[in-house]
Amino acid sequence: MNEKLALIVPEIVLFIATCVVMITGQWPSRALREITPWIAAIALFIAAMIGLNTEPTPGALLPTIAPYAKAMIGFIGLLLLVNLSGVVDRQLERDVDEGKPFLPLRSNRGEFYAFFLFSITGLMLTASADDLIWLFLALELTSLPTYIMVAISTQSNKSHEASVKYFFLGALGAAIFLYGFALIYGATGSTNLAEIAQHFATHGLSPIGTAGILVALLGLCFKIAAFPMHFYTPDVYQGAAAPVSAMLAFVPKCAGFLGIIAITAAVGWREGGHLPETVESTLWIVAAVTMFAGNILALLQSSVKRILAYSSIAHSGYMLVGILAGPGEAGAPFYRNGLAAVLFYLAVYGVMSVGVFAVLGALETRKDEEADDIECLRGLAKTHPVLGWTVILCALSMLGFPPLLGFVGKLGLFASGVSAGQIPIVVILGINSAIGAVYYLRLVAVAYLDKGQGPAPIVTSSRYAGRRIAALCSAAGVVVLLLVAQPMASAAQRAARIDRPVITHDDLHDAHAETDLHHDDDHDS
Amino acid sequence: MITSLTSILEPVLSSTAMLAPDAHGHAAHTEIGSGPSWILLIVGLPLLASIISGLAAALGVKSKQPAWTTVIACFIAFLFTVSMYISYDGTPYTVKAFDWIQVHTDSHGSLIANFSFYIDTLSIYWMLFVTGLATLIALYASEYMSHDVGLGYCRFFAAFGLFVFSMACLVMGDNFLMLYLGWEGVGLCSYLLIGYFYKKPEAVAAAKKAFIVNRIGDLGLALGVYLTFVHFGTLEYAKLFSDPKLLSYVEYASVGNFSAIPATAQWIPLLLMVGAFGKSAQFPLYVWLPDAMEGPTPVSALIHAATMVTAGVYLIARTYPLFIASEHALPIVAWIGTITALLAATIGMAQFDIKRIMAYSTVSQLGYMFAGLGVLTPTGGVYHVLTHAFFKALLFLCCGAVMHGFAGQLDLRKLSGLRQVKGWGIVTIGMLVGCINLAGVPFTAGYFSKDTILAEAFVTPGYELLGWILIFTAGLTAYYTFRVFFRVFMGPVEYHPGDEAHDHDHDNDAHGEQHHHDAGQNGDHHSDHFHPHAPGWAINTVLATLTIASLAASGLYIVGGSSDKHTKHYAETMVMSSTAAFSSPYSEHAFHAAHDSHDDDAHAPDDHGSDHAAPAAGVGPRGTIEHAQTVPLFGGDPHKMMYYISGVVGVIGIALAWFLHLFGRTEAATCKMDPIARLFGPIPKWAEHKWYVDEIYWAVIVTPLRIFSHVLHWFDKLVIDGIVNLFGILPRVGAWIVRPSQSGVLQGYAVSMAGGVAILLLVVFVLIAQGGLS
Repeated sequence: MNEKLALIVPEIVLFIATCVVMITGQWPSRALREITPWIAAIALFIAAMIGLNTEPTPGALLPTIAPYAKAMIGFIGLLLLVNLSGVVDRQLERDVDEGKPFLPLRSNRGEFYAFFLFSITGLMLTASADDLIWLFLALELTSLPTYIMVAISTQSNKSHEASVKYFFLGALGAAIFLYGFALIYGATGSTNLAEIAQHFATHGLSPIGTAGILVALLGLCFKIAAFPMHFYTPDVYQGAAAPVSAMLAFVPKCAGFLGIIAITAAVGWREGGHLPETVESTLWIVAAVTMFAGNILALLQSSVKRILAYSSIAHSGYMLVGILAGPGEAGAPFYRNGLAAVLFYLAVYGVMSVGVFAVLGALETRKDEEADDIECLRGLAKTHPVLGWTVILCALSMLGFPPLLGFVGKLGLFASGVSAGQIPIVVILGINSAIGAVYYLRLVAVAYLDKGQGPAPIVTSSRYAGRRIAALCSAAGVVVLLLVAQPMASAAQRAARIDRPVITHDDLHDAHAETDLHHDDDHDS
Repeated sequence: MITSLTSILEPVLSSTAMLAPDAHGHAAHTEIGSGPSWILLIVGLPLLASIISGLAAALGVKSKQPAWTTVIACFIAFLFTVSMYISYDGTPYTVKAFDWIQVHTDSHGSLIANFSFYIDTLSIYWMLFVTGLATLIALYASEYMSHDVGLGYCRFFAAFGLFVFSMACLVMGDNFLMLYLGWEGVGLCSYLLIGYFYKKPEAVAAAKKAFIVNRIGDLGLALGVYLTFVHFGTLEYAKLFSDPKLLSYVEYASVGNFSAIPATAQWIPLLLMVGAFGKSAQFPLYVWLPDAMEGPTPVSALIHAATMVTAGVYLIARTYPLFIASEHALPIVAWIGTITALLAATIGMAQFDIKRIMAYSTVSQLGYMFAGLGVLTPTGGVYHVLTHAFFKALLFLCCGAVMHGFAGQLDLRKLSGLRQVKGWGIVTIGMLVGCINLAGVPFTAGYFSKDTILAEAFVTPGYELLGWILIFTAGLTAYYTFRVFFRVFMGPVEYHPGDEAHDHDHDNDAHGEQHHHDAGQNGDHHSDHFHPHAPGWAINTVLATLTIASLAASGLYIVGGSSDKHTKHYAETMVMSSTAAFSSPYSEHAFHAAHDSHDDDAHAPDDHGSDHAAPAAGVGPRGTIEHAQTVPLFGGDPHKMMYYISGVVGVIGIALAWFLHLFGRTEAATCKMDPIARLFGPIPKWAEHKWYVDEIYWAVIVTPLRIFSHVLHWFDKLVIDGIVNLFGILPRVGAWIVRPSQSGVLQGYAVSMAGGVAILLLVVFVLIAQGGLS
């Protein structure tokens, strides 16, 4: 118990902050109310720093993933938090400005930031999960607050509709992967991932086990917005306020991939770096269809949020290529390690997707109405240079345009895919990058050129500086982080280590003994 | 020719074969030490200067700050280079800046190309004059470009700094990719600086021409680098030149057994050579260099005379073992060099634009360097690089001073007697020193370095014809060089300003009158309206320094050279202890001299009384000496005879120039040459039009390519675009088809999700049931 608590210090810090935030957000004093995001920010920073210095977990299946994942979550969480400024309580604070009394019951601020921190807490817990039950709870803790955040993010009915859709479909997804978890437990008699891995390694995949793994993986596809669970994405992203959409693009996706890595690691990449054929072919189909679905559907959109939603789907497909490639041989360098590529790309995706959403949030077509139509971005590089160039840089980065950060991320996926011999899926990845270029370059062209039919819609800059700061950080990130891409990549490479159970034909007991020798830890206790 | 090459290599290399591990000694260690990291500053400072100048452009600086930044950065880099030279202890080492490219493949080993620098005598030698000249020429440019202070000034120095950085990468890089990076970098800077006056159509056209012609060469270089990696599995010099495979090839080559060397290895130098020909303006790729004179003169001096164009010589010297291991490579290099030297000299004779004459002279002298490399004297080639760098930079800068002072006038028919104009003394002296060097007047640096090449052409069997052509060309060189000097600086005083007077806002009043100066008018115009703008202190300082340096360069040969015939002269020391050495015929000698000079003395006294230190004859291995005996020139040792022959030829050329262009000349435009030229019929006209090479290229290469490209264009437009558009439409069609799935209806989504999961599972389990999956 105690040693497990030691693993989740960052989460505990966030939880304490959550409790504080819930109170200060409702406080009658305006100064204290406005300090709420700062408390959340400080907590996130502390959590990220503690997470960065977390010791590797001995005996776990993925002993070193937590420090990288938690630091990444913390820092991108900070970026998302900056972007969230002014989402809730706009009308209320304006009323207060006009002299009306502050009504705590009408305020959403406290719960909004609390839910945000809850979600991040859940995400960090996912990173340290070593047990199916823990994993499930962490995944749900990540998702449940987001349903409400979508609902309260704007005053319009579209948000409510999006929230309801998201909630019901999310529940369906959760039910599916929970069913998968149950089948895995039925097949192996354990919920501990390391023990499950040991079982599969010594006894092979039983049909029930196979079914469990597949169902669990397909259920997790909801979190990462991959086929066949991707349908909700555009509707929800469009319905939510842009800053919340930005969060939806990163937080559940990150949770989903951490879950998928945990589950696939339990099945193990066998010698030659391949997953068991059933799992591999399922993921292969999912990855291929996801990439095509995302990129093709994005082509016809005129709503930037929907474009980004489909782009988010497509990126999940890209990252699944890394999962298919697997971690390579022990101690494989970054460009042969697909998991490292996925972990690296998650961070990259987090940085670059926030940018465009932040730009949308920073522009208003009418009062309190966010920009969404692609025409709103026309000539942005001239009218609002910072925002315009953010769109250009982030879109180019998502396209994988060298030398931006997205290029480095995609290079890792390509290289690991090739070195694992997954040539067909890498070719599909290449084709899809080309299709994706159409709509990313459309964003670039619209923002850079100002020619178009008819006058451009009048957009004004939102008064919430946080959006612009987040946009600027994101744009700077895709350029500046290149300088530290090497250390980031090696950190991801260190994080993506799997302590494989030793495969032997001896009985389970012997295998246990041997693993214990290797890991200095006893699973039997 | 080819068999003769092998026959000379045979005794030498078979004798060195046993010594091989030692003779290769310093270059042969795969693990070589690393040097002090301050060496990175030699590369970093020019880059920093470039960045600062670029920022100055962005900030709109309107002062000479970029120039001073660049001068200081280059000067400090030069000081560091000097201290690198002083602290060099004879063992090559590398300095790593950071990991750059590391790709590990299963089939070909690892592709490792770090951003690191390989320091041996060859790179030190090159860097000494690159940084030194860069400092001087930046100082010169600070004044020369002063009419453009502002954005253009910043732009100029940003590109200048970037050039020095790229050149340093090219010369000091420790692998072929660094070389390639530098190679493309200098190409880029060359393009940017040729096109500096981007509003002038000729400058833009020249820049494009330089860039495109260099593309052809660079393709060859790139392919050569690929092939090197494919064949040897490494791109790092330290590993490549100690590769046992390469060493065995060199041994095969020494006994003439070229059939034992795989064709791939023999192709490598042929491809690298194409790159060298492009960058160093050799036939048939030389056409860009004369046009490159559209750039500002400091650029012509630094990039297109002294440093960048010698990159090809560097490449061949650096990879000399690869060239040795190929049956045809060195003979081709020698002949291409010779053809270029002759061709460019004949064109240079008939030009009237003095800067253009210097450009053709550069091409011609580069031809000499290649001929030197080809006839197995990398020392001669490399020594000529150094001497040529100084005197040609000096000549260009003098021409630049003339151009600067006379409002862009460069026609030698419109300038005369500048010697007597006030304030032009240093320019005249500098020009004279440059000319005697270029003409090969005895005891100048140019004389010694050219003689090394000429003599070696006669020492190496099979190259006598080549040698005679080069001697003839030397005569032509002396003639056209002094044609310029006698026309422009001697004779009666007369000058007509050029048409760039408007550009010089500091002299508007004086220059504004230039329209009255018609080329057809005779008489003295200089005192009426136009006041030539005499060079200022910066230009004069630089010219004086370069004049002294050009004179002193011969000291490098004389000191430690002829005074003691058994020690090598400076350039030889530098070349023969680098990678260029170990397969050259003189490596044994180099080895002995470097490690055991007493021993060398003991062997050497019985040779043939030659009183000079040019490589082979005096102290070379016995086999070489025998060959030297078999090819006597006028009954004497070629190295000895060459001093007299080339001295006489040079003086004849100068005398001819004096008689035809100065003797009895009373005005700028006409001279004794004119009636004589008419005797030759249309030939001088052809030479003036550069033998119509550009027109021939246009007709034979460009026009057919254009026609072909039109055909392809229509094929592309009709067929390929059709297919591409089809692919472009397909996703959209697909999008229309699957769009209804995004209906927005919750139940629909739920059914799709659950159905999707069910179908996927069903497919997988059916596959399992059929045994397709395990």
